[in-house]
Amino acid sequence: MENICLKTIEIQKRFGGVRALIDGSITVREGEVLALVGSNGSGKSTLAKIITGVLDHDDGQIDYFDQTVTFSHPMAAQKSGIMAVYQDLSLVPSLTVAQNIWLANEPLTRSGFIDNRSMISETNELLALFENTFQSSLHPEAYVSSLPPDEKQIVEILKVVSRDPKVIIFDEATASLDSNQVNCLFNIIQRLKQDKKALVFISHRMDEIFRIADRAVVLRNGRTIGDAIITETNENAIVKMMVGSEKFFVNDNKSLVDLSQSEPALIAENVENQKLKGVSFSVKQGELVGIGGLRGQGQSVLLHTLFGNELYSGEITLFGKTINFKHPKDAMLEDVAFIPGDRSTEGLLMIRSILENFHLPNWRKYAQPLLNLKQAKGDAHTVGQQLNLKMESLESPINTLSGGNAQKVVIGKWLLRKPRLMLLDDPTKGVDVGTKAEFYQLLNQLSQSGTTILFYSSDDQELLDLCPRIIVMQDGRIKADLSDESLTEENLIAASMGAHETVNNDEVIAHA
Amino acid sequence: MPDKNNKNLINSIRSFSKKYAIGVPFILLIVSTALFFFLQDAELKAETIQRLTNSNFRTWLPVLLLTMGQALVLIGGGLDLSNGSIVSVGNVILALHVTTADEPWHNLAIVALVIGFGIAAGFLNGVLTVFLGLQPVIVTFATSFIYAGLALLLLPSPGGAIPREYTNVYRNTQYLGIPISMIILIIFLLIWEFFRYRKYGRFLYAVGGNPRAAYTTGVPVTWMKVSTYILSGFLASLGAITYSLLTGSGFSGSGADMTLPSITGAIIGGISFSGGSGSILGAIFGGIVLGNIRRIISIIRIDSWAVTLVNALVILLSLAAPGFINLLRRKK
Repeated sequence: MENICLKTIEIQKRFGGVRALIDGSITVREGEVLALVGSNGSGKSTLAKIITGVLDHDDGQIDYFDQTVTFSHPMAAQKSGIMAVYQDLSLVPSLTVAQNIWLANEPLTRSGFIDNRSMISETNELLALFENTFQSSLHPEAYVSSLPPDEKQIVEILKVVSRDPKVIIFDEATASLDSNQVNCLFNIIQRLKQDKKALVFISHRMDEIFRIADRAVVLRNGRTIGDAIITETNENAIVKMMVGSEKFFVNDNKSLVDLSQSEPALIAENVENQKLKGVSFSVKQGELVGIGGLRGQGQSVLLHTLFGNELYSGEITLFGKTINFKHPKDAMLEDVAFIPGDRSTEGLLMIRSILENFHLPNWRKYAQPLLNLKQAKGDAHTVGQQLNLKMESLESPINTLSGGNAQKVVIGKWLLRKPRLMLLDDPTKGVDVGTKAEFYQLLNQLSQSGTTILFYSSDDQELLDLCPRIIVMQDGRIKADLSDESLTEENLIAASMGAHETVNNDEVIAHA
Repeated sequence: MPDKNNKNLINSIRSFSKKYAIGVPFILLIVSTALFFFLQDAELKAETIQRLTNSNFRTWLPVLLLTMGQALVLIGGGLDLSNGSIVSVGNVILALHVTTADEPWHNLAIVALVIGFGIAAGFLNGVLTVFLGLQPVIVTFATSFIYAGLALLLLPSPGGAIPREYTNVYRNTQYLGIPISMIILIIFLLIWEFFRYRKYGRFLYAVGGNPRAAYTTGVPVTWMKVSTYILSGFLASLGAITYSLLTGSGFSGSGADMTLPSITGAIIGGISFSGGSGSILGAIFGGIVLGNIRRIISIIRIDSWAVTLVNALVILLSLAAPGFINLLRRKK
């Protein structure tokens, strides 16, 4: 057995009245990858932040190589060799990639100036770890604000790796990476393991945990429930520990709506713009259609285009009417709803109340001419219950909710408008298993009650479980339209991977 | 849809001006300076240019020093509304206590006192905003009245005097034809450039850009923020000294009109209220543009009652220009 590197004993943490962590106890040895699993709000991120000194703990003890330590700020933890790749990223958007990676760790010349040249060459070396998995827009002197989420995540990972810490916590580091990028990350983790680093890996993706971790510790509602050696356990056992006594939905209830009588709800013919290269498909009323493929093949752009957020040429017919939305407002008038992937920037006003967020698209309905707050609150309550939203009150700000619950509010605000067509742009990113299950049920209900749904997800398993039909996109085109017999995991992966090989070079430059 | 080449060009221009952040202010500086000299009645001989430059820069230097301090605070994500009042206090102390030129040590002690006051006042601003987590607008607005009140208490009616020996040095010294005020300015700019490419500079931009990320990365955010207020107070005390040397007398409201120009100058110079962007050089350019605008308005003899209005319009236009350009480009 290797030496114990880091040990936390019964860490406790309160935020006001909420007990985020009641018993956070983990042990990591040198050269070990420990998976920390649990649903959203189970205290994983809080524990990570306590270990790295971002938050202080109310009670409990942290032992680091047999010495009890307390880190009053992240700098102290960093000096001792403990760092984290944060889920919500710790990058300064107005600085460049190299400046971010070397922030507070700048290579200096002998006279104390920042050594830009070695900073840039070392950044290039680091970027080589993720070679061929990012676009040419990611280079040492690019501003972080101009990067897409996956490339930001890569910068965040490299920033930590460049400091060569003894303990690294990866908090949802793979949530916005595609499979090639995840492979690169896992290669890095393997190398760090050989160097006897102690690694903590936090992820919602079960397959990743089984690929990379040696041991798993499960947290539930702020308590450490137990741990398991990965080779001696299986996914079901861990999921059972995560959800405890609560019922766990296995998703075999694919929407069984009979569509043979249905009218087409949406017909797109040869839709083209900067990213879309002639997309044609049709969707029937009440149909639940998944959109798959590798990340960034035009799926989001397609949804944005349908919502009037992007210009296009071609013809789109919605409920028998040719449309040309110039602004999301036009789409809303036709009862189209859009649920974005990045809830904190595109979906919600984080510091405003749940009620305000629910009614942001709906206030006009309650103007009589003064706002009928009573009715608004009543409706919000109904939707909150329908979504099984866990909240203190309608007046509490959104940022008191966990990620999954916050995402429910994004959906709820559109449900209040009774949409006919819902566009979902990777809505389950970073959402825990329990909330996902509720979310799937909700989508099924909606589709059964006649709402047409287009659902883009970067999680193949989710699409396969949920959607009776999947459109696979490749390089701005529809590569495959899978349903019934053709709808298999092999076909889905083949269609998306095949796309990857045929990406031509011109396109890569145009996206850059 | 703009085509690819066009977009690349726009992007490279954008990244250039983002990197140096002085594109627009530099153009404004050239245009306004050229206009100022063009509008002179007198024939433009080297002598005249020298004389005008000296008279401009010795008048502007106090405000430019304040602009520099303000720019540091703004880049760090704060705001200092009290720097003008620090000038008032410093000016009043100097006017009251600086004696004749035969007592250099006594006078030097008074100067040290003024600088000490500036640093202390800046420290107070920093502690109140950073440690107590109060809004910088509110805190420095409040402390500006405290300092202004202190100045009024010390010198209720204008008075006091700075010996001619001292004021003459400031007003008329030139080296190689460059007025001393400009030399002082250049020295401070060089000092800043020195720090800008060291850790301090990098940390400052990180703290202004995203304080939380900077904190989790191990940047001493609290100290960085406090230090910007201290520097602003320090530069304001130097503003007080140069202002006193310029006017040679004391007045408790002397700095009241400097706070706003220090902010406007920094903003014209490409610094943003949200912090983390812009440059000190740009801010100085902005400050000089502001000075030029005033001079030009006074040369073309606009009726005195319209000066404020025209002044404000010109400032608004130069601030809004980048926004307008963006808007036009989008419409296309």
